[in-house]
Amino acid sequence: MPRTWLSISLIAVICVALAASGYFLFRGPDWPLVRDDAHLMNDAQLERITEFHAYLLHDHDIDYRVVTRNADGDMNSAASRMFAQMSAGSRSASGRGLLLVIDPNANLVRLEIGYALEGVFTDAFAAYVENRQMVPFFQKGRIADGILATTELIVARAQDAALNESFETERWSGGSGGAGATAKARLQEGPATDAGPSPSRTIEASVRTPEETLERYRAAMASRDGRPDLAIYTPDTRKMLSDWVITPAQMDNVARSMRSCTNHETVYSADHRHAVIRYPPDERGCPPYFFAITNGAWTLDLVSMQKLVRFGRSNAWRLGQRRGHTYSFAFRDWRFDSHGFPVADN
Amino acid sequence: MVSNRERVGRMQSDGVISTRQAEMLLASLEPRAAAGREPLFLGLRAGQLLAFLIVAVAIAAIIGLYLLTAGGPAEIQDVAQTLNKAEGHGEMNRTTTSLLAIVLLASVPLLIFALLYNSLVGKEETVLKDWAQVESNFQRRADLIPALVQTVSRYLTHEAETFGDVAEKRSRMTQTLQEEIDGLIKAQRDASEILRGGQANPVEDQQRLDQLFAAQEALKSRIGNVVAVVEAYPDLRSSDQFLELQAQIEGTENRINVARQRFNSAVGRYNASLRMLPWNLVASLGNFKRKAYFRSRDDAENAPDMAFD
Repeated sequence: MPRTWLSISLIAVICVALAASGYFLFRGPDWPLVRDDAHLMNDAQLERITEFHAYLLHDHDIDYRVVTRNADGDMNSAASRMFAQMSAGSRSASGRGLLLVIDPNANLVRLEIGYALEGVFTDAFAAYVENRQMVPFFQKGRIADGILATTELIVARAQDAALNESFETERWSGGSGGAGATAKARLQEGPATDAGPSPSRTIEASVRTPEETLERYRAAMASRDGRPDLAIYTPDTRKMLSDWVITPAQMDNVARSMRSCTNHETVYSADHRHAVIRYPPDERGCPPYFFAITNGAWTLDLVSMQKLVRFGRSNAWRLGQRRGHTYSFAFRDWRFDSHGFPVADN
Repeated sequence: MVSNRERVGRMQSDGVISTRQAEMLLASLEPRAAAGREPLFLGLRAGQLLAFLIVAVAIAAIIGLYLLTAGGPAEIQDVAQTLNKAEGHGEMNRTTTSLLAIVLLASVPLLIFALLYNSLVGKEETVLKDWAQVESNFQRRADLIPALVQTVSRYLTHEAETFGDVAEKRSRMTQTLQEEIDGLIKAQRDASEILRGGQANPVEDQQRLDQLFAAQEALKSRIGNVVAVVEAYPDLRSSDQFLELQAQIEGTENRINVARQRFNSAVGRYNASLRMLPWNLVASLGNFKRKAYFRSRDDAENAPDMAFD
């Protein structure tokens, strides 16, 4: 009897060892979230994208891979093949996979959408984020910034989908069926000449209230008027914006966000030279807007907003510095938590 | 979400298409009923019926042998009668062992047959599943046609109303568009008729699949021609609405390409199995037929370019 048990145990051990070695031999390489075969980015940029995409996986269960390609052949077929080879979506519990392929040789970029995400990230959405968000950065040679800016839109869409329960819950299968979009990457081609409908120069600064300036800013964003020299900005803001890439998608996003923020309150400084338009603290996606008097008119101070207002991963705003700045007068009656998020008094 | 019927109705009332074109387009957009292999008895196909019979006979044989050898009341062997007697013990056990050995030997070929049969069924199902994906993408392409025609024609109408002084150009472009729309609807009807024609699944008819491929290529080319009309209108070309439509068209074309490649790979694996031993022996019993390839002359390179700068 002991010999029989010994034999059975031995056979069991051999079977387990064979199965384990087979798994490790044939499971294929462990693909990273970001792979830069074309050497378009430096290590720090790769690390930033990896970190951001790890958050996306953690927060929204979306396995988003990025590959820069250094090979010939049809881009669309290659993207579909790579999606399968990399098992994009395998790190997600619900099979949600995305793959961004940048091909500098063909000057093309493709966002391949997995089956489980086709309902949320449509072909039209993929084309929109590529053409209206990513490509303007690529044109200035800012590859990593273009990828990260696009991921922001993907996060925003994922948040909307989670709120509206639009995510596919039945089709758990991985893989892709060729969904997504391909766009001309226009790598380092210089600034775009066609960024949507041409705006009219009707936005003037001679406005009497911060609310009017804010409305003109919203109108500029809604018409995709990204000119940095508009009179509604403070001189420092104009200088800052002249170095920025302002994409049509970013302007759409600002206009959309502003439309949903209506319940505002205006707070003025004691000398009436600065003002803040703020929204109730529980409206986490509505940041405060800062204004300063320039040549007798209220102008938008985006430089101070950029320094003081931060956004978390869930798109909720917080103050990076609570005291000792020009606009602290507007928040004296508010409470903030240790991270700078405003606390609503219920 | 606007249905195709509503969209076509609007296009007809707007004067974009005629009544005849509307009827033709609507008829071609109806989804095709799924075709499969004809069942023989109680929803079972010939091969499935055969496999079912083989398994039933095997189970009956095992039960019969059990009843013959081990059935009935349990008997206690008198060990004292057989102990230490040469050739005198285990007579009954030896009979049981022999019968079990015969059953096992007979079961092995049955088991192998079942495994081979199942593997062929699996491969055939993959072919049919991949073909369903191709058809679904054809339907997706067809569903985009009303949206495309409506977007382009509405813009032209709007432009004509806004810039009435370019009457000659308007008239020329409208006529070109009308001709292209007519060609597009006819191409859609031809592709739809081939897909629906015949009783058998098109994947078993190489000639029909070749015709279908040619018809779909013609349809793709017609879509490209309508899209090309937009080249003359930079405002429409750069509008978000048209970019969205263009993305859907390109996305559908890519889906069709991916689905076609997967279908052809599945057909390749299945057809190869039909010619290889021992699957070909099983295939002849199970009425498995060779499947047709969805052949392409040279898709990617010769495809009409629907991407814009």
